Amino acid sequence: MTAARAREKTRAERTHRRRRLALRLLHFAGLFVTMCVICLPGLWIVLNSFRPSVEILAKPPDWTPSFTLEHYRAMFGGAGEGGVPVFRYFRNSLVISLSSTVIAILIGMSGGYAFARYRFRAKNAYFVGLMLFRAVPGVALSLPLFIIFARVGIIDTHFGLILVYVAMNVPFTIWLTDGFFRQIPRELREAAEIDGCTKWQAFWRVEFPTARAGVASAAIFAFLTSWNEFALASQLTRSAESKTLPVGLLDFTAEFTINWGGMCALAVLMIVPALVLTFLVQKHLISGLTFGGVKG
Amino acid sequence: MMFPTLRRPPEWLLLLMPAFFVIAAVILMPLVFSLYSSFTPYRLTKPDTLWKWIGTANYQKILTDGKFWAAFGRTILFLTIVLNLELLLGLAIALMISRVTRGQRTLRTILMFPMMFSPILVGFQFKFIFNDNIGLVNNALQSLGFTNAAAPWLVDAKLAMFSIMFAEIWMSTSIFAVLLLAGLFAMPQDPLEAAKVDGCTPWQSFRHITLPFLTPFIFIALTIRSLDVARAYDVVQIMTGGGPARRTELVWTLMSRTGYVDARMGIANAMGYVSILLSILFTLYFFRKLSAARAAIGMSD
Amino acid sequence: MTAVTLSGIVKRYGGLLAVAGVSLDIRDGEFVVLVGPSGCGKSTTLRMIAGLEEISEGEVLIGDRVVNALPPRERNVSMVFQNYALYPHMTVRENLGFSLKIAGADAATVAAAVDDAAAILALGDLLERRPAQLSGGQRQRVAMGRAIVRRPDVFLFDEPLSNLDAKLRSQMRVEIKKLHQKFGSTVVYVTHDQVEAMTLADRIVLMRDGVVVQVGTPLELFDFPADAFVATFIGSPPMNLVDGVVGEGDGGGEVIFADSSRLPVPVSARGGVSAGRRVLFGFRADSLMPRGHSVREEGDVVSLRLAVNLTEPLGTETLLFTEVGGAEVQGKMFNPRPVVAGEVLDFCLLLDRCHLFDAETSAAIRV
Repeated sequence: MTAARAREKTRAERTHRRRRLALRLLHFAGLFVTMCVICLPGLWIVLNSFRPSVEILAKPPDWTPSFTLEHYRAMFGGAGEGGVPVFRYFRNSLVISLSSTVIAILIGMSGGYAFARYRFRAKNAYFVGLMLFRAVPGVALSLPLFIIFARVGIIDTHFGLILVYVAMNVPFTIWLTDGFFRQIPRELREAAEIDGCTKWQAFWRVEFPTARAGVASAAIFAFLTSWNEFALASQLTRSAESKTLPVGLLDFTAEFTINWGGMCALAVLMIVPALVLTFLVQKHLISGLTFGGVKG
Repeated sequence: MMFPTLRRPPEWLLLLMPAFFVIAAVILMPLVFSLYSSFTPYRLTKPDTLWKWIGTANYQKILTDGKFWAAFGRTILFLTIVLNLELLLGLAIALMISRVTRGQRTLRTILMFPMMFSPILVGFQFKFIFNDNIGLVNNALQSLGFTNAAAPWLVDAKLAMFSIMFAEIWMSTSIFAVLLLAGLFAMPQDPLEAAKVDGCTPWQSFRHITLPFLTPFIFIALTIRSLDVARAYDVVQIMTGGGPARRTELVWTLMSRTGYVDARMGIANAMGYVSILLSILFTLYFFRKLSAARAAIGMSD
Repeated sequence: MTAVTLSGIVKRYGGLLAVAGVSLDIRDGEFVVLVGPSGCGKSTTLRMIAGLEEISEGEVLIGDRVVNALPPRERNVSMVFQNYALYPHMTVRENLGFSLKIAGADAATVAAAVDDAAAILALGDLLERRPAQLSGGQRQRVAMGRAIVRRPDVFLFDEPLSNLDAKLRSQMRVEIKKLHQKFGSTVVYVTHDQVEAMTLADRIVLMRDGVVVQVGTPLELFDFPADAFVATFIGSPPMNLVDGVVGEGDGGGEVIFADSSRLPVPVSARGGVSAGRRVLFGFRADSLMPRGHSVREEGDVVSLRLAVNLTEPLGTETLLFTEVGGAEVQGKMFNPRPVVAGEVLDFCLLLDRCHLFDAETSAAIRV
């Protein structure tokens, strides 16, 4: 090899190496910015829940870190300053979300199983039809529900909201559980039946335990939907008897002022359970979403 | 003698029955009711008005109403921009994370962060952050010396639209990124290697191998997303309430104001129907695309 | 006594006829293999016996009970599935004991039966593992263990070995045969692999397009195939078939081939065909051998001088590819010596082991 060619080769190598380095830097920078954008808003809320109100409202902005529990104390102090009954809201949210989740899972699992295991005419049409009911905007639905619930007398009750959330969660639960049951080989059920199980036993002893993780993540998805829902809850609840946390958030806003610190504290209270639950099931959640839904 | 055979309903129907029943009771029935009331001049304050049939007058009224059309057009524009950006950003994020070798799990977990935020929380969060007086953005801009003025993030028509879109994208890009990432992981590696051997540039492999494989996942994401495009209502309602002066008015906020503030339920329900049709069309469209895409790469069984 | 009787069973999926009237008497303790190409209805037939598919028409009897309306659990059968169908959330021990537990057996009985099965299949060390932690062969053994724990009246196997590699497959074949000898239960075994069918079966049921083509012992099917399809499906390499027309000739006629070469009508069909009939002349590779490398050269034998086009040495014998009557055929050389392509050898064809099939119906012609 001549010296010139060797030089050329090392130059090519060098540009190649440089380009790779540049790409890696770009990659890293992109990820960094993305993660910042995702994390900063949440972090800002958490930080402000620990900042004294004076400091939040300070102009020019005060960046020195300081720490106070005043908002949490006020919040958990119940009907103290501001008078937001956070505990009641929390309990309402929990009761409503949990019961609607359990019922929606039972109903949705039964439907999802039908889609995963049976062949019938116009199956896709049924499936898409059910999903379309999920697509009805909450605001649009809240108008007639508001009137009907007021007539029937279940407005501002746990029962009313539970009912609504069950109906809202059933279609998507069907989508998810359909996906999970589809991943279980049909032979498993058949083996159980040959081993002496009734159809009922075969489901609860073999198929359900196998799909357990998936069903759990469908449940958490349903729970989060109820836990976070606002459009319907804001119209169908009025008193502290049935208001949920998302509606309660509005209590911190007055005509012209907002108690930012208190709101941030309540936001943290809302987000922590959701955070924990989601991380528990993230893996299954994704596989259920991608597996289910109109196939074949 | 012939008796009509009384057959038990098939099992699948029995299994679906509870779902049909609850949906019929809680969604279908109210929808029928609201369809009816959209043909009446129903006002909450005057219950008798429910029994007065006025035909399509409500629909005529909203279809000739400039304010409604402005909100409708803005909604379409909003959805188009937001969905496209979410898809693109989600794809970019998924590609970036799929190429990370260490700490990938952590990144994926962080990625799911916005998915668990209540939309109303997102609304408040960005109302706070974009607040012209004490918000993070203006505070940061001022402290860093870029400007002394307070940018009217939620007041100026263009800036307010930008702000609510930003919030919406922040909230919903994750679902795209997470699902597309799952698609990237599920992708078989041999076609990519074959493409490399066949002389494809990285861009060509992406364009001809990766993207077609990802298509069903893209439509899964779009379908799931289209199921609750109306979630944007929560965000916008909190951040701007459609204001100021209707500058960020979307179909949903207009409907809610007409129904609850003005108590004109009949006409609000008519608007509701337009918004329902909008959502259903979006969903149906993506569902069809999803089936086609799945068939195209042989994912259907 | 648990004989299994199928009388005219039919399975329809909508307009599609998957099984078109299968009748079969399986004796108590018999090992019957249903074999055929994919889509021939063999698995569907098995699943109808198991109770996993509804029977559209006809009757299935296990013992002397008509079981058409009985769910699987009341038929006292056990089944080994192609993909094993082990319960992923249970340990091997729990998998094995599941059927007894469901039947309400007490813990001691279950434990005893599980230990027993584990001992038979050498699963002792694996009992606390889960299916995901097992290799393919181990899963296969667990699936078989699960089947024997119950001591069922009938064992059903649905292509149980098709997911194993060749070596494991032949091991498991022996093991299945041993189990059958040990328990003496009735076995219905489905496979698409004719080697499995030949080696395992007391009787083979060969199916095609939802109907039974031939039933018989492995040797009956091998030596007396009912038609050309059986002849090519059973045995490896498949039987050579050469198109021809029956012509006049001395001593029972002869078959004239496309290249106008001719061979005498095989012994089995002599006097059974008239001139002008279109036929397939069939013989297996081991009926066409080079002289000096054959198992027999006397008797009803024809001599042929043929050029070898290609060889496949298998060790104890070599497959020779050559041409007879214008068609490519395979012969066999025993105690082989090296042969080069193009070499011309003297072959002898055992006429008393040749077959004649009708070219239209493909049915065997025998007198």
